Amino acid sequence: MSDTVSSFAARHRRSLLLAPALIFLAVFFVMPLFDNSLRSFAPEEGSGFTLARYAAFLTDRFYLGVIVETVVLSAAVAAISVVIAYPVAYVLVRKSGRFSGMIVFMLIAPLLTSIIMRTFGWQVLFARRGLVNQWLVQDLGILDAPLRWLNTPGLAIAALVHVLVPFAVLSIASVLQGVDRRLEEGALMLGASRWRAFREVTLPLTMDGIGTGAILVFMIANGSFVTLVLLGGGFQTLPLLIYQQFNTTRDFALASTMSTILLVIAVGCLWLQLRLVRRQGV
Amino acid sequence: MKLNRRHFLGASAATGLAGLSGLPLRAQENVLNVTAYGGVWEQAIRDCFVAPFEAKTGATGTVSLGGPAQWLAQVEANPENPPLDVLIMTPDLAVIAAEGDLMDDFTVEKLPNLADIPQEFTDACLGKGTYFDYGVGGITYNKQYVSEPPKSFAAFVEGVAAGDFIASVPSISYGPTPVFFLWALNNALGGTVDNVDPFFEAMAKMKDNLVFWAGPNDFFNHLASGEADLGIYFDGRTWNHVDEGVDWIDFINPEEGGAMTTVAVQKPKHASPLAWDYINEMLDPVNQSKFADILNYGVTNKKVQYSEKLAARVPSMSDAILPPYAEIARVRNEWVDRWNREIGM
Repeated sequence: MSDTVSSFAARHRRSLLLAPALIFLAVFFVMPLFDNSLRSFAPEEGSGFTLARYAAFLTDRFYLGVIVETVVLSAAVAAISVVIAYPVAYVLVRKSGRFSGMIVFMLIAPLLTSIIMRTFGWQVLFARRGLVNQWLVQDLGILDAPLRWLNTPGLAIAALVHVLVPFAVLSIASVLQGVDRRLEEGALMLGASRWRAFREVTLPLTMDGIGTGAILVFMIANGSFVTLVLLGGGFQTLPLLIYQQFNTTRDFALASTMSTILLVIAVGCLWLQLRLVRRQGV
Repeated sequence: MKLNRRHFLGASAATGLAGLSGLPLRAQENVLNVTAYGGVWEQAIRDCFVAPFEAKTGATGTVSLGGPAQWLAQVEANPENPPLDVLIMTPDLAVIAAEGDLMDDFTVEKLPNLADIPQEFTDACLGKGTYFDYGVGGITYNKQYVSEPPKSFAAFVEGVAAGDFIASVPSISYGPTPVFFLWALNNALGGTVDNVDPFFEAMAKMKDNLVFWAGPNDFFNHLASGEADLGIYFDGRTWNHVDEGVDWIDFINPEEGGAMTTVAVQKPKHASPLAWDYINEMLDPVNQSKFADILNYGVTNKKVQYSEKLAARVPSMSDAILPPYAEIARVRNEWVDRWNREIGM
């Protein structure tokens, strides 16, 4: 008996090791997700199946606008984050030397603070009578009157980028670290300028990191809630609308419809971005 | 015995399963699971209601933190075996829960202290609950920047529209907004439950000078950081800030009367019978006085004697308007949809 058990365990060792994680995911992720989706297809009364909520949602200009705004905001945050993150990752991997540990710590340190506290920090800094306006109006005399920064799209995007840039930096840095520097040196020896060597050798070789960073940031921005609810920015996004259905209107079926649509958008964008990255030949 | 990794994993899994089987997935016989908002609320619930309940019954009270929408969803998910025995509810959700036949009837036989609660508060919960605490939504302002605050909702709208003040008002994502802001302002401006045009017209006039708060702490940040000069907020929370040493903040109950923002208590059907003992403690005048002193909110037992400080702060029930919660519940989702489309989230 003992031998039989041992041989079964030996044959299925990999599956057995994976089983706890798979069971956990199935019970606490896949099943609730499935149940949530089912609710969106349930008719108002009785049993059955209906697409009425999806039809109503996807034919309403207001809701379509919310979907577009959610995707455009996430894409903008992902693009800005990658642009900011690449030079930071480059310096971290290539130039920082013994300071690399410190840079990594400085990147990660903000993530150790509650996102609510960080967002309140933006409120304090950029309030009408906050530090930034005080500096611009009273100390430097650049402005006559304080600016209204809060509740503007620019500040909401800046706050999201601030939260999400570290994810992009770490994704790009991990790939950049694996790039063989001799390839760039070869390009330089063959007469390429530094910029051309970067553009035609280093950048293509790090597309995987850029893609991963962009996907990661896009996904998190797609579902981001706290920053937008506190800093507003006038954005109307699906996560805000979903929260409202639970907290204010208690329309759980509509919330399920929206969350399923948000999930489909996220998966669709993930698939698209992966295809784009792979098309680069990486 | 040699302990290898396989043995370790097996033992861990067995221990975990054994532990799971002992989880208190359902309230045990001598344990009552009650609800509270976080922060000072939780402590007040523990000190003023849970402690005397435990002393009298010998049972244990556990406190679940969260919000009414979440608690009601938990009971709706498992009405035959509710995970919570006593619910703290917003008035509109109390009506929904009562209409859904999820809650038990409140009677003086079960709750002797109910005799001293105004009948209208029990009627407002369709007899399946009652109000135990109330505040008023009004105008909170920063005295450093507002020397002549508006005394009425109408003056508030005029002043904000004219750019005399930047106002912080609750966003539609905050659960009580449809009642204590939308209905209250609309009512003050001559609207009705079926005609909220006055509210939306006023918001359109004020839009350039508004910021929105998502939660009470957010409002205080708006005032403290100077983003806003005044706004729509609660009396009790304002006085709590004053008691914490904030000397620049003050509150006005608008002349038209602010919306009475009540907190209801309900017992889900099939919840522990011990809930009656606990709710009776919640309605007790001595316990309610203590609760009011901590939270700076009015309480509903007619026999309550407020301290001198509190008596000056708590508006009498006649100085606030009890919103028609049942009527509002009927049209609330239409209001929210209109807000989303005309004002934004």
